[in-house]
Parts: sequence; C-alpha cells; structure tokens
Amino acid sequence: MTSIRRQLLFWLLVGLLAGVAVAAAGTYLRAREEANELFDHQLQEMVASLTGAPFAAAPAGLGDSDAGGNALVVQIWDRNGVQLYLSQPQRVLPQHAQLGFTNLHTDAGDWRVFSALTDNQVIQVAQPMRERRELAASMALRTIVPLLAVLPALGLLIWLIIARGLKPLERVAAAVGRRSPTQLEPLAERGLPREVQPLVQSLNGLLLRLGQALAVQRTFIADAAHELRTPLTAVHLQAQLAERATTDAERRKALADLKSGLERATRLSEQLLTLARAEPGVEAAERPPSVVDLLALAREVIAELAPLAAEKAIDLGLSEGGKAMLRGDADALRALLSNLIDNAVRYTPAGGRVDVAVQAEGDRVALAVRDNGPGIAPLERQRVFDRFYRGQPAAAPGDAGARASVRGSGLGLAIVKSIADQHGAAIELGPGLDGTGLGVTVRFPATA
Amino acid sequence: MRVLLAEDDPMIGASVRQGLRQDGFAVDWVEDGRAAELAVAERVHDAVVLDLGLPKRAGLDVLGTMRRSGDTRPVLILTARDAVADRVAGLDAGADDYVVKPFDLNELSARLRALLRRGAGRAGPVLTHGELDLNPATREASFKGEPLALSPREFALLEALIARPGAILSRAQLEDKLYGWTDPVESNAVEVHIHTLRKKMGADFIRNVRGVGWMVARPASNA
Repeated sequence: MTSIRRQLLFWLLVGLLAGVAVAAAGTYLRAREEANELFDHQLQEMVASLTGAPFAAAPAGLGDSDAGGNALVVQIWDRNGVQLYLSQPQRVLPQHAQLGFTNLHTDAGDWRVFSALTDNQVIQVAQPMRERRELAASMALRTIVPLLAVLPALGLLIWLIIARGLKPLERVAAAVGRRSPTQLEPLAERGLPREVQPLVQSLNGLLLRLGQALAVQRTFIADAAHELRTPLTAVHLQAQLAERATTDAERRKALADLKSGLERATRLSEQLLTLARAEPGVEAAERPPSVVDLLALAREVIAELAPLAAEKAIDLGLSEGGKAMLRGDADALRALLSNLIDNAVRYTPAGGRVDVAVQAEGDRVALAVRDNGPGIAPLERQRVFDRFYRGQPAAAPGDAGARASVRGSGLGLAIVKSIADQHGAAIELGPGLDGTGLGVTVRFPATA
Repeated sequence: MRVLLAEDDPMIGASVRQGLRQDGFAVDWVEDGRAAELAVAERVHDAVVLDLGLPKRAGLDVLGTMRRSGDTRPVLILTARDAVADRVAGLDAGADDYVVKPFDLNELSARLRALLRRGAGRAGPVLTHGELDLNPATREASFKGEPLALSPREFALLEALIARPGAILSRAQLEDKLYGWTDPVESNAVEVHIHTLRKKMGADFIRNVRGVGWMVARPASNA
C-alpha cells in the first residue's frame, strides 16, 4: 500500500541529498579554481625568486624547505639546453621547455608546470595536480558534513509535519467510519484544509443522495406492506368463509372468491416487484439498453391482453405511423405497455373501446393509449402517479359489483411513470376517446 | 340485529357481509364515508362496523358526526395492526371497540354481540324473557326448559321482540331488523314467521294488535 507520508519523506530526502551533492560539487569546483590561482601564483613567485641565482651550486634544500613538502620539482637549463639543476632526480619530468603554464600527464600523475626564460637560463617549476584536488576536496567535504549531520533531524521534522498535515484526513476517515445507514448526517466542513474540503463536500453529497434513496426505499416498503395487508385480510376472511361453508355450492362460491383474492394479492406483489425493478439505478447495469421496436412490443402486449378485452367485449386495437425504434430496456418497456393497456381495459366498462397508437413524431416516438371509460378528473391527474393512489373516476361509478372488478393496486401508473422517467420520456394525461375516458401519451426519444 | 358495515375494499366488504349474515345479522354495506353518514342518519341499524380508511369521508369523521348528533349506538372500528394512533383516536372519538386487520370473522361477530348486549344493559350472553332463553352467540333457544328449533329469521324476530317487551313493533319495524337493503323481502314474510313461532311456542307468547303490529308482554315477574 502506498503511503503519502512515506513517499513525501523519501522524495524530500532524495531532493535534500541531491541538493547537498550539488552544493558539494559546486564547492569543490570553486575551491579547485581558487587553489589553481593560488598555486599558479606561487609557481610564478618561485620562478622569479630563482631568476638570477648562480647555479654553480644547487639551491640547497629548495624542494625540502617548501611548504608542499617535496612536491615541487625544479629544473634549470642553460641556453644550450644543458641541465644545470634538478631538484628531485627520482622524479622524471620531460625535458620540457614550453614557456608559460602547461599541464602534463606523466606516469607519476598530472603536473602543473611553469617555465620562464631568464637571462641565460630556462627555469621550470612543476607541481602535482593531486595537491590542488585534495585541497578542493577537503573544502567541499567541510561544507557538506554539517549538512549531512542535520539530515536525520530534518527527516524527523518532515515526518512529524506530514503527520500533522494529514490529521484532518484521519479525522474525516473516523467521522465517515462512525456513520451508519441510519445515521447519514453530513460531515463537518468547517476548519478543514483546502485540500480535504472537496473530498468532504463530495462525501456529503453522496451521503445526502444515499439518505434520500434510503428514505424512498423505506417509504416504499412501508407502503408496500400496508397495501399488501388489505388483500391478505380479504384472503383471510375468504378462507374462513370457505371453512364455514356447509353446502357444496357455498364451498364452491367461497373457494372461487378465495381464488380471486389470491389473484389480487399475487398481482399486487408482482407489480411491487416490477416497480422495485424500475427504480432508478436498480439493475440498470445488469440490463444494458438495446434498440427496441416499440411497435412490435405493443403488438405482443396487445396479443397477450386480447383475451381479457374479449371477456369484457372491449374493442382493443392498434394503429401505427412510422418507425418506432428507441433505445431502452425491453422488459421495462413491456411492463409499461402492459400496465397502460391493462389499466385501460380494466377501467373501461364492458362494450367499451381501447385504442393503442404508436407513432413517429420527428425525433420522438409517441405511444398513446386511449379509452372511453370513466376517465380521471383533471384535478386528480397529477396524483394518480403517486404510488398506491387510486383515482376517483370522473364519471359516475357503477354499482358495487362493477367497481369491485376494476379495483386496481394503485401501482399501475406509478410503474409507468418510473419506467418513462428511466427512458427520458414525458407523460401526458388527457381526455380519451369521444371526449370521455382517459388518454395517456408517453413520448420517448427516438433512435435511428 | 341489523348492522351497518362501512368498508371500502370490495373483497373484505363482501366477505364480512356474508360472514355476519351467517351469524344471524342483517347487514347493510356501504363503501364510502358519505354513504356511511347517510345510512347512519337513518337510525335503523343496531350497530356500526366502521373502517377508518374510507374514501370521500374518513371513518373518524363519520364517527364524530354520529356522536355529536347524540347517537349512542355501538360502533366497532376496523384498523391496521400498526395504526395504534388511529385506534386511540377512534376510541377517543367514541368508538366502543375495535378489531385489527386481518381479523377473524368469529371474533368480529362475538365482539358485535357483546357490544349489542352491553348496549341493551345486559352482561350475560343469554337473552331471557319469561320462559324463553335466546343465546345469540350459539343461535340456540329454549322455551319452558325444552330446546326450541328456530330458523335464523325466526330467531332474529324473537330477538327483536324481546328486546323491547311491551312495545308494539310494526311489520315495517320488524322487517328493518330482519333484512338489509339488498335482501329480498318476501311479502307476508313477517306474518309467516310469526305464524310458525306461535305454532312452536303457543299463541300467547306473541300477541297481535290488529292493524298495528306485534308485541311480547312484559314478564309478570319484572313488572
């Protein structure tokens, strides 16, 4: 696992060391330059002091008395090139008489040589370069040693400062760790460094959305449990009546009632499932959108519901206009169609009419389901999309028996809305056929 | 005994109506609060079974209207298990008892009988008039110490008559106790049932006041 603290420490120390190295190199180079000037000057002085000296006898102890030890080598020639003097015979330097400063490479190392022509002599003084380098190196060393000495202390300081700087992150982590699904209040944003604030703001945004999603789910479950209680109460009572039945006819009737009670409970639970699936974000990843032919889908759903319509002598039909291709979830769209058409067939009295129209409208595909049933009063048209809301019909209701047959779960239009939202479609409620009834129009974005 | 049932769910309503009928009640069923208020105003029912979640007019409002108008007839409310607040509000608004959904038909009947009994100022389950004993819970009757076989209508008729001893009940009044709105009323049904009862119990028990109605005498011991 990477650690910001360790990485920072490592790279800061690497940087520091590089800085020290550069400083050392710089010191060394400058020191050598200064040493060069100094020693060159010394060589010139030396040559000047030797000028004019009689060389019958060698200047005794010249090399030994020098501060550089026996480092200096002095050679003197006369005009004819006869060596008059060699301070250190064991040192073999070339018979070199190039005047001025030269650098020499020999087997005994690098030398700095200065030769000068005097009245009748050539004087040459040579000094090993090694000395100059050693001097420069020791100066450079003196510069970096104190730096290297404080390095561990610097490292410790960096380590502590980083730890201090990262404290807010630890606090945020601890605060997030304390959150539970039931406790999603936002994290405190005050007093946080600028670098951590965006993280906390994003986290707070997420917590907010999570809280909202959870609240929706909780309400949904409570509503669902509440709504399931009614059909279950009915089933309970119907079962008891079946138990009480004393004649075959009574028992058959009671069992038929019980069966329709169970069908209602089953239908409700299936619709709850459909609605839960149509929730935004749920299973969306598992079901990637594909190109769906809404017209073909409508044909299939109408074929499925045709028997129900025939039972009530309802004239159910489809009209088409243009291509109706759209991008979406085929299963969800089937549920949408099924709920819309089923609703229309259920709420339209026997002998009525239900028209399904699928039409291209520019860059949209419009699905319209119109009936000539009781319709929905304009004032209630917004509320019917609420879960479990059952609309009061606009027209006068029939007797109790007829109403019993059209009693829905109150979920159909909520499912339609949820699926339409998922597909970026707009829903419009309006009048149905012949000025009565209900017309639901869903406009989807079309695809090529 | 005639009961008003206010319940908006068609399946629950139909089942409760059928179950209560089997238990000897005449039942009228309404599906919304407004219809319930109209039915309550008729004052023909002996008790009201009231669902609180009624459309058009909430059950609690119906109950409030009833109690404000001085109506003291027993009211039993139907509520959900978790709706404690509703239940409390219902009882405070003047309900006499409640059952929790999903409920048992036998329990509902028993609670209704208990409410009606207490409403009549009796504590025991058996109605007694002279030598006649009626047990509404078991639908059993005995007369002069002998078991008496009665049809449900005959039982209901006797129950209505001995509830108000000494009062003359007209045919229409008796029919109100025997039949709900949707029950088919056979012509002369009351006369036929009284005729049979007289055959079973002797002519003295139920007296006919020609042109007015029928009555049972106040028992001599009570007078």
